[in-house]
Amino acid sequence: MSKILKPQSGALLADGGLGFSSGKPDSAATNAAQAVRPKRWAMLVDQRRCIGCHSCAIACKSENNVPLGFWRSWVKGIQKGAFPDVGNFFLRRLCNHCDVPPCCQVCPVQATVRRDEDGVVVMYYGKCIGCGMCIGACPYDARFFNPIRNTADKCDFCAERIDKGLQPACVDACPSRALVFGDMDDPKSELFQGLASLPTTVIKPELGTHPKVFYVAAERSLKGRISYSEDFNEQILDYHKHIPSPDASYWKKGGKE
Amino acid sequence: MDTSVLYNVPHEIPWKVYIPLYFYFTGLSAGSFILSTLSTVFGVKRFKPLALPAAIISFLLLLLAPVCLILDLRQPFRFWHTLVPQYFNSTSALSYGSWLLTIYPIANLVYIYYIFVNNDRITRILGMFTVPLAIFVHAYTGFAFALVRARAWWHSALMPGYFLTSALLSGIALLVVVALIMDRHRKEPLEAALFRDLRLMMVGILLMDLFWNGSFWLTLLVSTADGYVSILYAFHEKLYVWGELVSGMLVPLVILVLPKTRDDRVWLCVASLLIIGGVFLMRYSVVFIGFEIPLS
Repeated sequence: MSKILKPQSGALLADGGLGFSSGKPDSAATNAAQAVRPKRWAMLVDQRRCIGCHSCAIACKSENNVPLGFWRSWVKGIQKGAFPDVGNFFLRRLCNHCDVPPCCQVCPVQATVRRDEDGVVVMYYGKCIGCGMCIGACPYDARFFNPIRNTADKCDFCAERIDKGLQPACVDACPSRALVFGDMDDPKSELFQGLASLPTTVIKPELGTHPKVFYVAAERSLKGRISYSEDFNEQILDYHKHIPSPDASYWKKGGKE
Repeated sequence: MDTSVLYNVPHEIPWKVYIPLYFYFTGLSAGSFILSTLSTVFGVKRFKPLALPAAIISFLLLLLAPVCLILDLRQPFRFWHTLVPQYFNSTSALSYGSWLLTIYPIANLVYIYYIFVNNDRITRILGMFTVPLAIFVHAYTGFAFALVRARAWWHSALMPGYFLTSALLSGIALLVVVALIMDRHRKEPLEAALFRDLRLMMVGILLMDLFWNGSFWLTLLVSTADGYVSILYAFHEKLYVWGELVSGMLVPLVILVLPKTRDDRVWLCVASLLIIGGVFLMRYSVVFIGFEIPLS
């Protein structure tokens, strides 16, 4: 299994660009072992490699058929400094697949659960009553109402793909190999080696949700949203100084202020 | 260092105005129910004339409350999923709440029947079981917020208590208005002492609510960055400051305390109506100020 999930390393496209065909026999042999040991799928996002191309967000939308104006995963962009010393930074955002997920805690009908076999937080759309409690409870703002399905929706690490041994669509789409997906508990996986050898952070560790999306070189100004100043009024304005997203009515209103 | 967000994806607020309305209706219902049990369970005979109207109002509001809740669902026809035992989520306040919202109106109806047939002993026993239900049916809404760690504005141990006291407050205020109307159309007028008691109760709970608010502000002002911004944001929100605090709490408190106005029925009615409006604004600001603080 670990071989399958090794992102296009070494001989890129050597096996037809799929990266998994050579792993097939291997996975059959380890099927029994898989049943015993639960997996913990996780993602490592290397901010140093991210070029801000938004391929991951687009791949996500087309893979999961996310309606226009809604995003399961996206890229947040910030700019630091003033001309001529300016830097652009990008933070790849998605569901953090917490080990202690606040959304599963509040769901009244168990429509969203953390799968025991691999730690992925998935939605059961047929159960969801659309009460919106999980959307309010997610500290990462990763959930939204899907206007076509009329239920809550979120990134599920492309559950259908990873169940078949593929990688999530965003990982396959990333041109700079900034995204690494794998099993946190498998010492042979590239993800495990990355986690072991690189200083990584998670978003909002203080909440105790134990997210499984790890960031390399994601600095505070990228992860945070609040800037400090002495003036109360200015601080509030600063806080709301975001570029509004074109179709979220909430931000249309906020943008005018 | 100068930083600015170039682009980001925020998500829309999932709840509409039905949610604060729902909290408001269950609060009014629980408040008037507890007032109704003052005479039937706790034996304060002065409140006897209010027992039946209070219970009926509390039942009618309870019919409205779930309607609001179901209207807000994106899949309204799946509301029964919350009552399927296999789907029950033991960590979710909403799971408990939906069961309470089913059981409590039934218990309430039985209770009304026994007041109606004037069976004091059974009313008393039923009331004793229904009072905790009434308390929990409203306290759970406070827990639904208090258990959300993502939003500093909600994640406070004060929430359930604050929700309960303001529920009582709105219930009493509503009953004052009802009693004033009853007083006009009854053969024998209600005692002046009844109104004095109701007024004193409102003053006490208003002071308690102000105390909750004060502790809330202080803890948020020295809280995490999120909490700090929440409270600053709230202080800049006109609906919160002028609506909830000034016209919903301070003005009624002054009216109910000043010797000039406190014994006047018109002023009492004005204060009660202000309180009824203020408690709705409290629900509204709890829900929507919480959502206004961006998370990503």
